[in-house]
Amino acid sequence: MPHLFWGLIMLPDLYIDGFSSLIGECSLEDFAPFLQARSLRRADTISKNVLLCCFRAMQQAGLNGVQHKDTGISLAMGAGALTSTVKFMDSIIEDGDELSSPTAFASSVHNSAALVLSVFLNIKGPCVITGQFDSSFAAALLTARQFIAKEMCRKVLLAATEDINPLVADILCKDNALLAPFIYCPHLPPKRAAAAFIVSAKPTDKTLFVLKNISLGIEDNSAKAQEQNTPDIQINSCAHTALSLAEYLKSAKPFTMHDTFAGAVLNINGEPYVQP
Amino acid sequence: MNTKVAVAGMGCLCACGNTVASAFEGCLNGVSNFALPLGRVQSSYKSKFPVFLIPQEQYSQKPDNLTLSQYFFIKAAQQAFNKAGIKPEQLNPKRVGVIIGASVFPSFHCFEIYKNWKKNNFTAADGDGIKAYLSSPLAQWVSGYFGFKGPFQTVVTACASGTDAIGLAKNWIETGLCDAVLCGGTDEIAESPYDGFIRLLVATQERCRPFCKTRTGINLGEGAAALLLVNEDTSKKFNLPCQGYVLGYGNTCDAYHPTAPDPQAYGLKKALAFALKESGLKPEDLAFVNAHGTASPANDSAEALAFNEILPNVPVWGSKGTTGHTLGAAGALEAVLTLQALNKGILPATNGFSIADESLHLIPTIKNTQITKRFAVSDSLAFGGCNAALVLGAYNAA
Repeated sequence: MPHLFWGLIMLPDLYIDGFSSLIGECSLEDFAPFLQARSLRRADTISKNVLLCCFRAMQQAGLNGVQHKDTGISLAMGAGALTSTVKFMDSIIEDGDELSSPTAFASSVHNSAALVLSVFLNIKGPCVITGQFDSSFAAALLTARQFIAKEMCRKVLLAATEDINPLVADILCKDNALLAPFIYCPHLPPKRAAAAFIVSAKPTDKTLFVLKNISLGIEDNSAKAQEQNTPDIQINSCAHTALSLAEYLKSAKPFTMHDTFAGAVLNINGEPYVQP
Repeated sequence: MNTKVAVAGMGCLCACGNTVASAFEGCLNGVSNFALPLGRVQSSYKSKFPVFLIPQEQYSQKPDNLTLSQYFFIKAAQQAFNKAGIKPEQLNPKRVGVIIGASVFPSFHCFEIYKNWKKNNFTAADGDGIKAYLSSPLAQWVSGYFGFKGPFQTVVTACASGTDAIGLAKNWIETGLCDAVLCGGTDEIAESPYDGFIRLLVATQERCRPFCKTRTGINLGEGAAALLLVNEDTSKKFNLPCQGYVLGYGNTCDAYHPTAPDPQAYGLKKALAFALKESGLKPEDLAFVNAHGTASPANDSAEALAFNEILPNVPVWGSKGTTGHTLGAAGALEAVLTLQALNKGILPATNGFSIADESLHLIPTIKNTQITKRFAVSDSLAFGGCNAALVLGAYNAA
């Protein structure tokens, strides 16, 4: 196993004006409040999953239907657009490369999900996508805070979306011990999942939560790294950290989150924001 | 002007050279390894669509357990540390970050293993390959390789990844997150993107011709570039050399199309303007802009529009006629070549360009030219409509 011990990084407070998460797959009917479903015919499942979460989070934050020149996107994609990647490889294997699918190739690029968000939400601020398995969301959170600190935008759509790798899923099904050190919860089947949060450095009249004492950290003690305090989310996904945060927010209570991912750690203290 | 983030060392390897000096010499002379990828991909296109390849002798020592993307970046990073005159272990490991842009490695890059699995020929060796794939996100692996314990991030904004990696690294230092950041990009020729770009009808069988009226598309390339960025205190503490500065970073998205840039270049203009504003410079301060310049009709048109409006009269250099389009490495490679041009005071010709395209209202560099200004811009455009721009300064810019 490579080392995964970060120097402790403390981030300033972040305010959350809206959030949403889902496990599994959204349906086209879910989009009825937001757009005509047929406009999503070319979007892949993980893009639709995270788009739905973003629509719901933005609705909660009162941001739907306006142009967002001052909003950025920081998207975590643990392992990328696997369904489209596999679809493209299948088209090469089964049909030959001269008949392989250019649409699947375009959708296999990590940016495809960010494009779906920017087009359908009309977001034209900064956009960075992070792809490093379990630690993707923590790095995306860091990027969101950096966007704001450098005044690249005022709000950030911090999101995560995760696909299923059919090969890995097959191995886990047959012999999960084979991949046990590398998979978050090897006893659980992989699932698609997504989450979205509207974050900013200053509260608004829509602010729901304030996140304090955010630290991205190291755990030099490997035993300590196994400790965690996250909701019991029965999934196996690189989006686990994002889903954990969403679960805490749903509780509408103060919380202390301590999540580990392969040795690195994310600590967050959260409390409901009381409007002055 | 903001000179808080200095480049203490940089390194690269690509089709036109295995060091910064030799790669830049390749740009000046137009000499590069432009060849068919016969032994590298199994695609039926391999005898038709050439690419810019790193010569095999450059990676003959590669350990079997490393991918080319990993090996290329480590070689570039070692050059960067050598140029800086510092060993990685001398730096405080918890204050050194790693940010790398890439496209092939962070994707599910196990095509041969996947084929075996599809054919029910999955072997124990394939299982080890999947373990290796799952265990080593790129920046995390590089961080561990050099013994660093600071933050790491693998940026996957496609062809803008390398530029974003440098821009984010600059921000990490400016906001006090790190004393030093090893940043850059790396990518290799692989079957999926090779077939994919051909099937999207943006690849050409000829050598690419950036901004040329007769341009017919892109050539893929491979390579890596690494920069060791440091804050002022670290530079002074270790008496590090200065090879340049990262002065500004802009990033926007088009919200337009999956694979084509916004023809009005709204997002690119905004990214360029933001980076320039952050640097505190004006267009007339710039020696040149190193364009993304893929030689696809749509890319070059959008860039020309943005340059004519935001950077009027600034000379434009396209380096992909010598390096090819190295995808996730492109922005970092071009940043390194940009700094070398500034430091040497020579702006190379745009290799491949021959006939002006009247519709662009832009003629890129047509011969190697002496320059005296100390600042330049390097920009990248990516699938999904992501735009990124850097403002860079020469070693003597402060």
